[in-house]
Amino acid sequence: MTTPLLDVRDLTVTINRDGHLITALDKVSFSVNPGEVLGIVGESGAGKSITGAAIIDLLVPPLKRTGGTITLAGERLDRLSPKAMRSVRGGRIGFIFQDPMTSLNPVISIGRQLCDTIEAHLKIGGEKTKRKALEWIERVGLPNPEVQFRRYPHQLSGGMRQRIVIALALCANPALVIADEPTTALDVSVQAHILQLMRDLHRESRASMMLITHDLGVIAKMADRVAVLYAGRVAEISTVGELFNAPKHPYTRGLIRATPMPSADGEVRLDQIPGAMPGLGAVPPGCAFNPRCFKAEGDCRAAIPPLTTEESAAFSCFHPLERETA
Amino acid sequence: MTPVVNTPSVPAARRSRLSKLLRAMRRAPGPTFCAFIIFALLIYAFVTPLVSLNPFEFSGMSVMDSFIPPMWMADGMPDFPLGTDDQGRNLLTAMAYGMRTSIIVGFLSVIIGLVLGGSLGLIAGFVGGKVDAFIMRVADVQLAYPALLLAMIIDGAARAALGAERSVTTAITIVVLSIGIAFWVQYARTIRSSVMIERDQDYVSAARITGRSNLSIIVLHILPNVMAPVLVIATINLGIAIITEATLSFLGIGIPVTSPSLGTLIRNGNNFLQSGEWWISVWPCLVLVAFVVSVNILGDHLRDVYNPRLRGRS
Amino acid sequence: MLNYAASRIVQTIIVLLVISFIAFLLVANIGDPLAALLSADATVNERMELIARLGVDQPLGTRFLHFLGNLLQGDFGMSYRTQDPVANLIAERLPATIELAFVSLLITILVGVPAGIYCGVHPNSLFGRFIMLISTAGITLPNFVVGLLLIAVFSVQLGLLPSFGRGTVVDLGFWTTGLLSVSGWRAIILPAATLSTFQVAFIIRMLRTQLMEVGQSEHIRFARARGLSEARIWYVYAIKNTLLPVITMLGLQLGNIIAFSVVTENVFAWPGLGSLFLQSIQAADIPVIAIYLIFVGLVFMIINLIVELLYPLIDARVLRRQS
Repeated sequence: MTTPLLDVRDLTVTINRDGHLITALDKVSFSVNPGEVLGIVGESGAGKSITGAAIIDLLVPPLKRTGGTITLAGERLDRLSPKAMRSVRGGRIGFIFQDPMTSLNPVISIGRQLCDTIEAHLKIGGEKTKRKALEWIERVGLPNPEVQFRRYPHQLSGGMRQRIVIALALCANPALVIADEPTTALDVSVQAHILQLMRDLHRESRASMMLITHDLGVIAKMADRVAVLYAGRVAEISTVGELFNAPKHPYTRGLIRATPMPSADGEVRLDQIPGAMPGLGAVPPGCAFNPRCFKAEGDCRAAIPPLTTEESAAFSCFHPLERETA
Repeated sequence: MTPVVNTPSVPAARRSRLSKLLRAMRRAPGPTFCAFIIFALLIYAFVTPLVSLNPFEFSGMSVMDSFIPPMWMADGMPDFPLGTDDQGRNLLTAMAYGMRTSIIVGFLSVIIGLVLGGSLGLIAGFVGGKVDAFIMRVADVQLAYPALLLAMIIDGAARAALGAERSVTTAITIVVLSIGIAFWVQYARTIRSSVMIERDQDYVSAARITGRSNLSIIVLHILPNVMAPVLVIATINLGIAIITEATLSFLGIGIPVTSPSLGTLIRNGNNFLQSGEWWISVWPCLVLVAFVVSVNILGDHLRDVYNPRLRGRS
Repeated sequence: MLNYAASRIVQTIIVLLVISFIAFLLVANIGDPLAALLSADATVNERMELIARLGVDQPLGTRFLHFLGNLLQGDFGMSYRTQDPVANLIAERLPATIELAFVSLLITILVGVPAGIYCGVHPNSLFGRFIMLISTAGITLPNFVVGLLLIAVFSVQLGLLPSFGRGTVVDLGFWTTGLLSVSGWRAIILPAATLSTFQVAFIIRMLRTQLMEVGQSEHIRFARARGLSEARIWYVYAIKNTLLPVITMLGLQLGNIIAFSVVTENVFAWPGLGSLFLQSIQAADIPVIAIYLIFVGLVFMIINLIVELLYPLIDARVLRRQS
């Protein structure tokens, strides 16, 4: 087994609301291997984006990391000084934001934003920086780099902006890229192009990637392994093939069945999971999924099922699903 | 508010309103404290004249007692806790008279602005078209001038038109009108936009179909809906109106010395600031500031509570 | 861009015409220029001559055009009070007011901008809260109270600075300046500080609100996620986003500054336009009041026009929004 590039153990994030502590992430553990794409899926509110932000210490108050360890290539990120953390951000971990309409500074030119980011991490300056910035504009597939360099965000379309966001996240050659819903805010027609671009860039750089999304279709196209989050806890981690073919956790199967995917005969089947995910601070005792689970029994309501590890996979369920023989 | 006795006979609605008020006071101790200061100063300003001689009439002053410093200073006298001015007026009494004038003038000018701006806003919103465009353009042009400057100009024009002989009443009327006119735009804009929203509502159309006149629609349906934001603006403007009046009077183009406001008192005290008799100007300054700051804080608080939409505007 | 500029300039000219018309109505209808400008023992001939010169026998429209024509030629009429041409009175008083406004702007920029940025970057720090407390006071205190308190402390109690006048003034022919002598600078400190109180307090609050808002925006979070230094994030990325609203608000505050200059000049016996205006109001000197009215409108409009035409240089998005 390879040493993981990123190892997250028991990551806990809480919100202090008028003195009451509400748990947003509850002992989340997973790892990302070198060169691997780990998908993180879950419904909105499951804690996917919080996980990403917690890794680079960019949680928005009142969210606060209150426990667990984060290790990047043997170094404990959760113990770094703010200054050392700054060189990790953008330098060793690139972060692709969700909405290209709001994540670019509107009054600073594309070129300036790229150069500032490059200079913050690589020891180059002047003409060399500019050349590298132009190179990145070209690499993310924008025509006339010299022209784009001088332009401002409002002069670009949403898809072009997201390409710039990707360039900004990757321009200092990070070892790990965290992409938080990189295509959600885009038109469907643009989404495929952006995914293709990310796949190409990943193939070239061999950087690891954490791909946060609610879209299983994106996972199927991009990821090697998947972690399924539910109500701030890890439900299941598995390789993509295993997950889609033989999910262990009832929630995973429900999620897959709730995703429109044409089967062999061209029929589209959709099954909904009854009920809704509990909100923050309303997680029931025991397994968070038990009120909606068709296999729930007394033990599910009594205790939180631990994360059981089997080879490269893991799941937290007392009554895992058997492999379907169909 | 009527005194509330907490017995079962008190209607439940009123009791809950009282407890709501108490809860609101606990939540916002700052504004509550300001409300207390305003209340205390109001009592001071309106009760003192009832129990003392008017220091601005001959019988109320005694030149023998002029320039006495506050009682804790050397030469101070317990009869004049805050000292006396150049005419031997007890400052504690004189300021109450001045404050009363300031508050009355402030209130009257707010009412003038409210009535003027309110009716123009109603007309603009209800009639629309060219009338609306004209009223709003006038408002735009007026906004190029700050209220204080405008009040000065109106004041100056009125003086020129009326000539030199002016009674105290005329002078006060001029001040009230100039401040009122200087402040109408804000009310007009608020009421106009509310009217424009309300007049297309179903209940107004319904009232129209049932044959109600425009006037009764305005009075019965539209006014109640625009009262809250307008009253909030009026509270905030009360502070500004009092400052504006004080400034005009300080500059010598406001309330005359025979029936002074706080601003007039400060103007008078200013003559003696250089020679060391600081108390004649500093006390009225402090009273003015205490009142206006309290009104402003309370107004800001009301704005945040009742009308979050207005938040952030100044 | 050109269209945008042209339409704004046309709007400005229309508003100025309206203001001139109001000023003209003041001059034409209030007070009796003949009584004001003629001595009591004037002959009928002198009277007729003046009527012809002022054109008071003409119809209103003609008189307004005449009034406008005179304005454009620099003939602003005669003061009832001093019998001097209004243009001369204004030219004589203008330098004092402009220097006062300039120094107070200097104070605003040197004090208000750094303090506002500090409060925006460290809104919860003790010092930041202290600055906010002071600025709340600065916004509420009437201008003349600030002036009086400054005089009471710095002139009367401490005897450090003069409380009236401009100090030693140097005449440059076209301009009289107090900024070339030590006593001139000493004299301008208190009035300029008084005049700038409101602006300083105002800009501190503006910058703080704006910076706190921008600080929570997604693009600042993304800049952090890219590892830019806090200094660069605040002082370049965030500040650039606050420039436009802050400059706009300052431009709109110009009117208040002019109004407060009347008060400040009165408190410090500063021989500027504000004092002239006040004297004219006290004396019901309508021609001077009318010209002042136009002058203030003109300055206000021009500054706002300049601010608006500068927008595209600060933020290219403005042009797109206009078109």
